[in-house]
Amino acid sequence: MKRVEAQATPGSSGFRIALKKLASRSPLHIAVVVIALLWMTPAFGLLVSSFRPPTEVASTGWWTAFQTPFQFTLDNYDAVLSQAGMARSFLNSLIVSIPGTVIPILVASFAAFAFAWMKFRGRDVLFMFVVALLVVPIQMTLIPVLRLLADIRLVGTFPGIWLAHTAYGLPFAIFLLRNFFAVLPKELLESAYLDGASNMRVFFRLILPLSVPAIASLTIFQFLWVWNDLLVALVYLQDPSKAPMTVTINNLVSSFGTQWQLLTAAAFISMALPLVLFFALQRYFVEGITTGAVKG
Amino acid sequence: MKGNPVNLLVKLTRPERQRAGNPARKSYVHWFWLLPALVFIIVFLVYPVVDTFRLSFMNSDSTAYVGVDNYVHAFTNKTTQDALLNNVLWLLLFTLLAVGLGVLLAVLTGRVRYESTAKAFIFVPMAISFVAAAVIWRFVYSFRPEGFEQIGLLNAAGTNLGLPPVAWLVEQKIAYTGQLLPVPLHTNNFALVAVGVWMWTGFAMVILSAGLKGIPTEVIEAARVDGASEWQVFWRVILPILSPTIAVVATTLIIQALKTFDIVWVMTAGNYGTDVVATQMYKEMFNFRDFGLAGALAVILLLAILPIIMVNIRRFRVQESER
Amino acid sequence: MAEVRFENVTKRFGDTIAVNNLSLEIPDKEFLVLVGPSGCGKSTALRLLSGLEELTEGNIYIGGRLVNNIPSKDRDIAMVFQSYALYPHMSVYDNMAFGLSLRKVPKAVIDRRVREAAGILGIEDLLKRKPRQLSGGQRQRVALGRAIVREPAAFLLDEPLSNLDAKLRVQTRAELSKLHQRLSTTFIYVTHDQIEAMTMASRIAVLDKGVLQQVGTPQELYDKPSNLFVAGFIGSPAMNFFEVIVAGNQDELKLDSGSFQLPVPPEKAALLVPYLGQKIILGIRPEDIHTREYLPSGIASSAVVPAKVDVTELMGNELFLYLVSGKHQFLARVDPRTRTVPGQDVELVFTMANLYAFHPESGKVISD
Repeated sequence: MKRVEAQATPGSSGFRIALKKLASRSPLHIAVVVIALLWMTPAFGLLVSSFRPPTEVASTGWWTAFQTPFQFTLDNYDAVLSQAGMARSFLNSLIVSIPGTVIPILVASFAAFAFAWMKFRGRDVLFMFVVALLVVPIQMTLIPVLRLLADIRLVGTFPGIWLAHTAYGLPFAIFLLRNFFAVLPKELLESAYLDGASNMRVFFRLILPLSVPAIASLTIFQFLWVWNDLLVALVYLQDPSKAPMTVTINNLVSSFGTQWQLLTAAAFISMALPLVLFFALQRYFVEGITTGAVKG
Repeated sequence: MKGNPVNLLVKLTRPERQRAGNPARKSYVHWFWLLPALVFIIVFLVYPVVDTFRLSFMNSDSTAYVGVDNYVHAFTNKTTQDALLNNVLWLLLFTLLAVGLGVLLAVLTGRVRYESTAKAFIFVPMAISFVAAAVIWRFVYSFRPEGFEQIGLLNAAGTNLGLPPVAWLVEQKIAYTGQLLPVPLHTNNFALVAVGVWMWTGFAMVILSAGLKGIPTEVIEAARVDGASEWQVFWRVILPILSPTIAVVATTLIIQALKTFDIVWVMTAGNYGTDVVATQMYKEMFNFRDFGLAGALAVILLLAILPIIMVNIRRFRVQESER
Repeated sequence: MAEVRFENVTKRFGDTIAVNNLSLEIPDKEFLVLVGPSGCGKSTALRLLSGLEELTEGNIYIGGRLVNNIPSKDRDIAMVFQSYALYPHMSVYDNMAFGLSLRKVPKAVIDRRVREAAGILGIEDLLKRKPRQLSGGQRQRVALGRAIVREPAAFLLDEPLSNLDAKLRVQTRAELSKLHQRLSTTFIYVTHDQIEAMTMASRIAVLDKGVLQQVGTPQELYDKPSNLFVAGFIGSPAMNFFEVIVAGNQDELKLDSGSFQLPVPPEKAALLVPYLGQKIILGIRPEDIHTREYLPSGIASSAVVPAKVDVTELMGNELFLYLVSGKHQFLARVDPRTRTVPGQDVELVFTMANLYAFHPESGKVISD
């Protein structure tokens, strides 16, 4: 029969137990740490490569960069920003993404308000229909929309792509916002109406301020989605001078072999903003996709 | 004040004011709020779907109707058949791997104190564009012929273990064995799916983790007291309770798998037997200018996704009624 | 033999000691209630017993077997959780059958045991339902059924009545007592409600801040509390406490509270003589305080305390008076015929034969 020995000093048996626990849990820790590191490795490799001169990148693996002689350089970033027009592309990405985020959220919040708080015939059916549109592959809309934009001369223009991204972002935005609006306290709105507030007032002074977390999540989502988009930009924004970063990189990729070092720097620059946003606003990002996805 | 002219307009367009939250009286004020969104949706989503549908029954430059010719062509043509099979491969492999890894990681990270950091590492790929991901993985998959120094991570590791280097993005035979199968279980397809898994596992993990945290600890403890080993707790208690969440994740991933375009397009442009319906459609549209066929392919894609959405909607309604 | 033994058991969470050197023996078939205020360590003690927490020091024995390193599933105990913790995805039948199916018990045996338990608890009609379709009381029965089916060496119950409404609670208390008699198995029951403890337990163990205060039958704890804490915890309404000084002289001892004086009856004098001139804490139960008007026969009328009525609570068959005298506030349970109003001055009589005395610092009872 085993007995736990009486300890002369209090707390020392606690230490022994803690050590035993650590030993039995180390497979778990090892697994988690290894997987997390492995997951970052590809991106890390890219980062390292972006600081290496072209000859090195083409001939040796990025892990060798940590041996002497160290040959890190900023040339790639310099080249990409000034020559390959990356700075211009960055700007274009901003020009596409910011309105492409703000407009859909505005339009969606109006509709979500109606879906959440107004009663009318066919409301739920219409809502489900809008949400069902989430499945429409963008590819299905490309030809007709392209023709339509061509007819009103908006192909290859920024307003054209703003309109497109607004429409594509609406189903998800309406879904998310409506679910959020619906659980705001009813009494709050009712007392506002009793006080004589109009719908507009309630919307701008009550609903929006109370929905900041949901709107924050949505903003991040929509922004990243538009920022990282390739297909829509390829199809509707055909003017090379207006190309956002995704398109520019895509072009660089197609020109096989010679421009690898530029590619790494370019890719990393395009990743920089999303990564910063992600780490700073992780919580909203995560909260956004779990709301509505997990039923209590 | 900004609201006034709008309120006036709204007052003019219907007899009584309907207040949000009040019992419905016949009024049209909701249209004001819904209209902008509905206009966008109809113009950019509904009309195109209908129009694409129409185009799919026409010839390549949309001048004459050809009935179901495009569809017949789509299903009998070897290139399209291969693309469809590739989509099936994506559907199965991508979803299974992402969900499986997602569950595993949700469980593992939930047991360590540095949970959020670990999760952040795995979730990061979701924030970057497919294009950037393609560049990253181009490096990992880099191939140099036998005898040359390998600069790609995988081949470097492989050659270190004594294995020959593999051209991951090109190779259609099964890696290292040199077998060619009749179905497109090509090595390069696996390579592409891996990229997708790398990007989307974080998504699955985060949602499954939230679902996992929704299971009351006492239920797990009750199972342990009842006599379940850790393994049995996982299979007979945790997984069943988690299954609605898993369904939601799986549905989203299946839809992603069917819509896959960017990864394939940027890494191989659909060559070497990696084509999927979405890339094929793009090629028909822009390279071959066959709008009829492109339309048919798009419709096929939609029809493939539709059943999944029906299942989702039905489940949503059941859940809502149970509440 | 399903006796349970705690031997010098201590549980530390970081710097906090949740259970402090607990030693307790629970013979087979006993209904032991662990009672105490929130945070006293009673739930922790139960969880240590069940194996859901690992102890820091000491030993736990179940049926004579040392179980320190044995996982919960092999300790042959069944637990009923406060929140019932039913498996939401399984029917009532499957919930109850789960433990047995894990042990590969034959289906016929499982079926018999489940139906038997369902019969005892009156839930035969609910076997096909899912937990979310049941009321709180029904879920609790299923949780009990799940435990009964296992035929364990001991039942562990963690505040099983706290989520029920008052009426159901009273009903279920009686049922649990009957169940215990019928099953003839050790019940170890945790609650913060001393009424539950008093009505159901064969023995009560009172805990405070992780330390065992006293263990004994309900009558023992009520009549002979070993310290201030137990005296004030057991019995509802709670015992009144007064800080008094032992005054007078050896032949005529008095207790001086500052606003009134009480004579010490001869049978208690010997106890208190050593404390002449010192401060002690006097304890008197509300039921031992009467109005002069309705003083029951046989009680000496010598210990008179004048006080002012603060609040009156008529319970139908009982009348509670909240009284103030100087800096002392106390509660008396008086004859319901008494007519008083708040603000009125009354005279109370203390039954000094039933007094308790405690050390002011240690709280220990002063006894022979």
